[in-house]
Amino acid sequence: MPTDANGSARIDSTTEAIANAPLPTPRTLRSRKSIPRQIVRFCSFNARMLRMVAKGHH
Amino acid sequence: MARVIVMGAGISGHTAALYLKRALGRDHEVIVVSPAANYNWIPSNIWVGVGRMDEKQVRFPLRPVYKRLGIEFHQALGVAIRPFGDELGATGAIDITYTDPARAGEAARLRYDYLINATGPKLNFAATPGLGPDANSLSVCTVDHAQATAKAFAKVIKEMKAGAHKRLVIGVGHGGCTCEGAAFEYTFNVEHELRQAGVRDMAELTYLSNEYELGDFGVGGLAFDQQGFVSNSKLWTESLFRERGVAAIVGAHVKAVDPGIIHYELLDGTTGELPFDFAMLLPPFRGVDIKAYDAEGNDISEQVFAPSGFMRVDADYAPKPYEEWSPGDWPKTYQSAIAQNIFGIGIAFAPPHPISRPRTSPSGTMISPAPPRTGMPSGVMGRTVAESIARRIKKGATAELCTASMASMGAACIASAGVGMRHGSAASMTMFPIVHAFPNPGEISRQPRVRLASPATGRS
Repeated sequence: MPTDANGSARIDSTTEAIANAPLPTPRTLRSRKSIPRQIVRFCSFNARMLRMVAKGHH
Repeated sequence: MARVIVMGAGISGHTAALYLKRALGRDHEVIVVSPAANYNWIPSNIWVGVGRMDEKQVRFPLRPVYKRLGIEFHQALGVAIRPFGDELGATGAIDITYTDPARAGEAARLRYDYLINATGPKLNFAATPGLGPDANSLSVCTVDHAQATAKAFAKVIKEMKAGAHKRLVIGVGHGGCTCEGAAFEYTFNVEHELRQAGVRDMAELTYLSNEYELGDFGVGGLAFDQQGFVSNSKLWTESLFRERGVAAIVGAHVKAVDPGIIHYELLDGTTGELPFDFAMLLPPFRGVDIKAYDAEGNDISEQVFAPSGFMRVDADYAPKPYEEWSPGDWPKTYQSAIAQNIFGIGIAFAPPHPISRPRTSPSGTMISPAPPRTGMPSGVMGRTVAESIARRIKKGATAELCTASMASMGAACIASAGVGMRHGSAASMTMFPIVHAFPNPGEISRQPRVRLASPATGRS
C-alpha cells in the first residue's frame, strides 16, 4: 500500500474506480474460454490487422 | 548505382532495408548499419522478463540474413551525419565506429545517396536517480535486462513459496515516459505467473504510471464500440485491474528510486513513497547520441535534431497549446527538415507533440506520457519510406513521396500472458487512427472523434 509524505495509507480515486469497476459475467468468462469462439475472433482480428497495414500508407 | 544506408536494424530499419532490397534488386546498394549483431523482437522481451522465453527465441543474427539478400551489413555505431558532405565532396556521409569484434573501435565514413535514420531510442535511465538495472530497479527493454529481471522474478517467487509476502511494482520510471502498454502487458504477465506458481495471495502487485487515468496508454485513451454502446479504455482497464486484483497509482512522476523504495510525485502535487521487493520500471526515451555537421564541419545538430535528440522531419513543430493541436501536425513522408535525401522513422523521428493531453503538477513537473510509436506503425513507416526512396531512385529526385501519417494509420495492440490454448490469456485491440482529432471543433468535423477499437479478452 502506498503512503503519503506523512506515512498515511493513500486511498485515491483510481483505487475507488478499480473497486467499483464492472466485473465480467459468468457468461463472458465462459465465452473467453470457448476455443471455437476464440479461433473465430483470432482469424477476424488478424484480418483486421492485415487490412490496417495495407491501408496504412499511400 | 545509388547507395541507400539504413541506420538501425529494429522494426522500422529492418523493414525498410528488406523492402528497399526487394524494390531495388542488384542495381543499387542497400547498406545497414547497426551496433548490434542481432535483431531483437523487442515486444517479446516481456516474456523473457518472466522466464517464459529465452534469448534465442527473441533474437537472431542479422549478418546471415543480409548476406543471403545481398544487403551489406556493418556492425557499427553511427556517431555523426554529414548531410551536405565534407571537404572531399558534397555527397552526404555518416561517420561510424565499428562494434564488430573483428574491427572494434575502428572509425569509418560511409557515403550515401539516401539515408534512413531508424536508430530507435536511447534508454534514458539517467533521467531518474536510482532508476535502471545498473541501480535499483529492473527493466525489460533489452534481452539482457529482461534476463536479469527474469532471474529476480524467479527469486521473488521462490521466497513467496517459502512463506514471505512480497511487494511487486511495475510501471514507468519517469513522468515523461512512453510505452505504458508494455508496462501494462508485463504487469499482467507477472500476475499470470504468480497465479501459475500458486503464490498470487502472497503478492501485492501495483501498477505505477504517468498516465492521467488507467487506459490512457499514451494516446489519450480509446473509445470502443461495444454491443451498441460507446465504452472507453478507462472502464475496460479498471475492470481488468479489479478482476486480477492489481492496484494502480496513476499520474505519477518517479522522482527517485532508492533500494527498496520508490519516491514519487502526483499530478495533484502530493508526494508518496512506495516500498518494493521487485520493481520493473521502464525508462523515458530520448534520441541516440548522434551529431550532425555541415560540409565545413560546423555542428548543425540543433537543426537536424529536436532537443529530445529525435530527428526533425516534415512535422509542424511550432509550439502550440493542446487546444490548437491538429492531426495535420504529424509527419507524412518522414523526410528530414533539412535534407531531402534523409528520412527519420520509427522511434527516431521527433513527434510534434504528445497525443495525450499534457499535464503538470503544481510544482511544474510534466507528468504526461510521450507519444508511443509501436511496432506496427514503425513497420508501416519503414515500408513507406523504402517505397519513397525506391521511387525516387527509379523515377528521379522529384518523384512524389509516399505518405503514412500516424493520423491516418491504425495500430493493433496485443497483450498476452501465458502460453498454450488453455493456460494463457490475451487482450487485443485495434485503433484507428493512432493520432486522433484534438478537441478543436474544426478538426472534429473532419475526422471521427471516436476511434474504433475492439477489446477481445481471451482466456481468463
